[in-house]
Amino acid sequence: MEGTADRPVVVELTGIRKQFPGVLANDDISLQIHQGEIFAILGENGAGKTTLMNILFGLYRPDEGKIRIRGQEVEFNSPRDATTLGIGMVHQHFKLVENYSVTQNIILGLEPLKKWLGLFPLVNEKEANKEVARLSDHYGLSVDPRLMVGQASVSVQQRVEILKMLYRKADILILDEPTAMLAPQEIEHLIGVIHELRRHGNTVILITHKLDEIKRLADRCAVLRRGRLIDVFDVGTTDTAKMAATMVGQAVDLEIEKEDRPFGEPVLEVEDLTVMQEKNVAAVRDVSFTVRSGEVVALAGVAGNGQVEIVQTIYGQMKASSGRILLNGRDITGHTIRTRIREGISYVPEDRQKTGLVVDMSLSENLALKTYGQLPFSKRKVLNRAAFRRHAEKLIESYDIRSGSGEATIVHSMSGGNQQKAIVAREIDLGNRLIMFVQPTRGLDIAARAHIHRQIVEERAKGHAILLVSLELEEIMELADTIGVLYNGVLRKIAPAEELTVEEVGKLMLGVA
Amino acid sequence: MKQEMKAKRLPRLRSSRLLIPLVSVVSTFAVLILVFVVIGRNPLMAIYSFFQGSGLGLKPSYSKSSSMLTDFLSYLGILSPMLLGSLGVVVGLRGGLFNIGVSGQMLTAGFLATILVGYSKLPPPVSIPLVLLIGLAAGAILGAVIGWLKYRFNVHEVVSSIMFNYIVSFLTGYFIKTKYVDPIIRSSKQVAANAKLQVIFQTSSGLKLVVPIGIFIAIGMAFLIRFYLERMAGGFEIRMVGFNREGAAYAGVPIRNVMIRTMLISGALAGLAGVTYYLGYYSTIVPKDLPSLGYDAIAVALLGNLGPVSCILSSALITIFQKGAVYMSASTGVVREIASLVTGILLLFSSLGVSMRDRSRHYD
Amino acid sequence: MVDKIIIDGLAFSLPLFAMAIGGIFSEKSGITMLALEGIQGFGAFCGAVAFAYLQPVISGGTQVIIYPVLFAAMLGGMIFALLHAYMSIRFRLNQVISGVVVNILAMSLTIFLTGLINESLTGESSNKIWLGAAPRFSVPGISKIPVIGAIFRDLYIFAPFIVFFAVISVILLYRTRFGLRLRACGENPESVEAAGCSVKRIRYFALAICGLLTGLGGMNFAFTFSANFSPTIYMGYGYLAIAALICGNWDIRRTFLTCLIFGFARSGGYQLILKLGMSSDVSDLLLMIPYVLTLLLLLFFSRHNHPPSALGSDYEYDRR
Repeated sequence: MEGTADRPVVVELTGIRKQFPGVLANDDISLQIHQGEIFAILGENGAGKTTLMNILFGLYRPDEGKIRIRGQEVEFNSPRDATTLGIGMVHQHFKLVENYSVTQNIILGLEPLKKWLGLFPLVNEKEANKEVARLSDHYGLSVDPRLMVGQASVSVQQRVEILKMLYRKADILILDEPTAMLAPQEIEHLIGVIHELRRHGNTVILITHKLDEIKRLADRCAVLRRGRLIDVFDVGTTDTAKMAATMVGQAVDLEIEKEDRPFGEPVLEVEDLTVMQEKNVAAVRDVSFTVRSGEVVALAGVAGNGQVEIVQTIYGQMKASSGRILLNGRDITGHTIRTRIREGISYVPEDRQKTGLVVDMSLSENLALKTYGQLPFSKRKVLNRAAFRRHAEKLIESYDIRSGSGEATIVHSMSGGNQQKAIVAREIDLGNRLIMFVQPTRGLDIAARAHIHRQIVEERAKGHAILLVSLELEEIMELADTIGVLYNGVLRKIAPAEELTVEEVGKLMLGVA
Repeated sequence: MKQEMKAKRLPRLRSSRLLIPLVSVVSTFAVLILVFVVIGRNPLMAIYSFFQGSGLGLKPSYSKSSSMLTDFLSYLGILSPMLLGSLGVVVGLRGGLFNIGVSGQMLTAGFLATILVGYSKLPPPVSIPLVLLIGLAAGAILGAVIGWLKYRFNVHEVVSSIMFNYIVSFLTGYFIKTKYVDPIIRSSKQVAANAKLQVIFQTSSGLKLVVPIGIFIAIGMAFLIRFYLERMAGGFEIRMVGFNREGAAYAGVPIRNVMIRTMLISGALAGLAGVTYYLGYYSTIVPKDLPSLGYDAIAVALLGNLGPVSCILSSALITIFQKGAVYMSASTGVVREIASLVTGILLLFSSLGVSMRDRSRHYD
Repeated sequence: MVDKIIIDGLAFSLPLFAMAIGGIFSEKSGITMLALEGIQGFGAFCGAVAFAYLQPVISGGTQVIIYPVLFAAMLGGMIFALLHAYMSIRFRLNQVISGVVVNILAMSLTIFLTGLINESLTGESSNKIWLGAAPRFSVPGISKIPVIGAIFRDLYIFAPFIVFFAVISVILLYRTRFGLRLRACGENPESVEAAGCSVKRIRYFALAICGLLTGLGGMNFAFTFSANFSPTIYMGYGYLAIAALICGNWDIRRTFLTCLIFGFARSGGYQLILKLGMSSDVSDLLLMIPYVLTLLLLLFFSRHNHPPSALGSDYEYDRR
């Protein structure tokens, strides 16, 4: 980790500026990255890290500023230009074609050809498979070239993304939040891979908001805040507290007081729940657990192991093949969503724009999305617009929801954080005894995150029952009273949070005994 | 509070809401003028002749039994099904479903009303409500089937509607040719006067004024549908599903019921269009002939920006071309089909307008 | 009788198949294709116009004139397909609406222009352009075999073109890199963009191919089933082709099967009427068969099919 400052500069960004409608994503950023170093870009969600790297990768064009690669000034018209210069990028949301094989995904855009009958250029899949196998061995990233990517696990998919870069002989590798979806042990493995890549002579740029990973991996770290470069630290000589403070820029009250109270009676009881998906695969298998009044139960697990399906089945979006769901003692297993809402379930879903809101409608309409048919919002099936307005203004006030035109704002134009605030406000305002949260702080900055955490703890104090699904172990450890770990649809273990260690949870998440 | 509301509404008017339909209309007129010039006709006279044909301009001369007023009433007679059909398309599209089967629904309604009531001797106070009822019901049922097929079997409503259009046209064609034909006019036997949706006055100067009942129904429906969509819980649900089906399901909206209800209402409106068309404007059904009005209604709906009351204006405009085409053709010698071309081009421009305002949907 | 069913069935299936392949190229690239009806109509119109102007001028009979006519038809189809592409890509118009708009526009434009052209050619404004039925041929030798030989007997002159383009399409879509990228555009256009290829360009190409094939199919229908170009060219066959590709699960080979089913059901039904000696009125009723069959097939197959994941999605092309 020493002496990288002496190496030549491979990437130099000067005065990069990028404006999107309504937000200045990158404001006059200048950086130098040296050959062979592991360079971290730290910042909150929304700080502009991904935008900056997308510019480096050729996906975006900067409004102003210059890019120099190995001393040469360049202008990228598309990622192809960046790739030719040896730049590769693995995005946070993988860009993979689910029903193509591993090989097809890797070669897409740079396919090896063979001439059929000496004339027609066809894709040479045999050759491609061989090359992928060779690369996979060489770098220790084991994949099955013929596997359909849609059937692969998240960490295998990530390997495919990395292989995409290596297939194109990239030596400047950009990784955007690579550990977001991985279990602790998989994170360890990835850290090993990154070190290995550096050993092979590559330069790695790491976008992250996780300080401990920066400490373990990076040589230097640039901190972005609200689109501007604040500082560049030498990681070895800077402590995490300083980096965190720079990232956030202000004192954020991260203190959350969680009282220790005895739990009340069970609010949600899930008994032997099994949920089938297509092709006779069980997404959820014989899962049983209880959430009591005043308790926060968190379901941990690598993405796609059944946690979300459990929540969706409790809510009514999916059907249970067998088992029972009891709410306040009543069997609701066969009930419609509308009935379940009325019986007392609130739900903050994972996708705020596609599920939790109707973004083409106004804020006040969205805040009454579930209650429009009842008094006071409608009387004898006729809507009372004034009641919509009053209700919206009340929630805007108490939950600090910011929008362009108040209750009449079309939700589409609101920021992600405020959209989430609106959903949380609506769901809590329903006053239901059971509240379910799936990935409630995804894509939010630290202040908004803390705010939502505080609200969860408040609801807990009121005696409500909370079911939390999150991919961030940190969030779970902070909030949960009880943690259940899912692997392949099976609840491997469920126990009070004090009794579990991060390591044990990680092992359970990966199916290790 | 009310002052605030008014202030908030004004800026909307100044925005693209009126601008884009306006631009569409102006562009279409420009193209039309160009076409007339290219084929060597006086464009302004030609355009005016459309208005003359619709009773909105004076013709140089009238026959003994007609006048500008009778032309205008006739124009209203064809305006009614156009408006009703477009309302059907509007309701469908607001609910996220494209009812392209308006023609088939019109034909079903018209046919059933004709054979059940059209040849009967029932007095108007009985026959007219009955005709309307059959129109509503026939269209509603066909629409509901299309909606159900979409929900239950995921059959795309555009394809199924077209299939039904052809099936209905062949079926009714068969029955007309075998059982209900009037061999002289080679179409179905004329509907009796007592069953027609008209009120007839004789003026002192000997003119027969035929007032189409349909126009009142159509205009009334426009306001009713707007109220339903904007102010009632049922309409709110339809709009939710149209914007975001997944979000609506999450909110507890019963998607199946809403989808069927949307197509049911849409079909019912198309059915009303059918009876005002076949038992109002016309009195006979030509076998296997699907009214092109079903497709024109789509243009009306898009030009009217999917707003029920705006459709009154857009249908008025498009009908001027449809109705006035005969007179225009007679006085300029240009083929009548130029009216369909106008509709086609207007449709092109107004659909681009609808797409550009996707982000800020305000309707009426 | 079986021979007749095969011959007539193929005569319907092949042009339908050509249009369906066009639809597959479009939808596999991610653009919803409901505009086949209008595209085939405009293609047929262009071909018919070419025929009307060239026929008195060119000698050598149909063998010669078919080439410029087909060229005109395919070019015309391509133009209208690109119109749909332009509206969907440049204006990001809802593709269902765009498709229907193209259909309506094609209908009105072609009917209007037919009237104009007839006026200038013959002095009368008619809405038909007379084409006459296309010649047929049989493959020597094989066509003599009973039953199976019927496949190669009395084929319309278009058949070899369609077969040729069909084979090329299969190779193009499934084995070339253009095809690999095209299909990726329909599943996850972001991955294509990240690989450095232009989604926009690929989709325009896909739609151009769609137009070429659909124009070919439309011309075939005009020259065979109607023997003229008129408003009756719009028989809903474009929608049948869409249904065929839906039931074929967007796979060219499976779609060939569904097209065969449509064609044979139609010709089989017709032979049935003849055999049973029913009146022509009842024959009207049996003309419904393709449409009823389509509805039924859609019922069974629409539930579990897998359209391309990004089909019809609103994609931001110029994010840069």
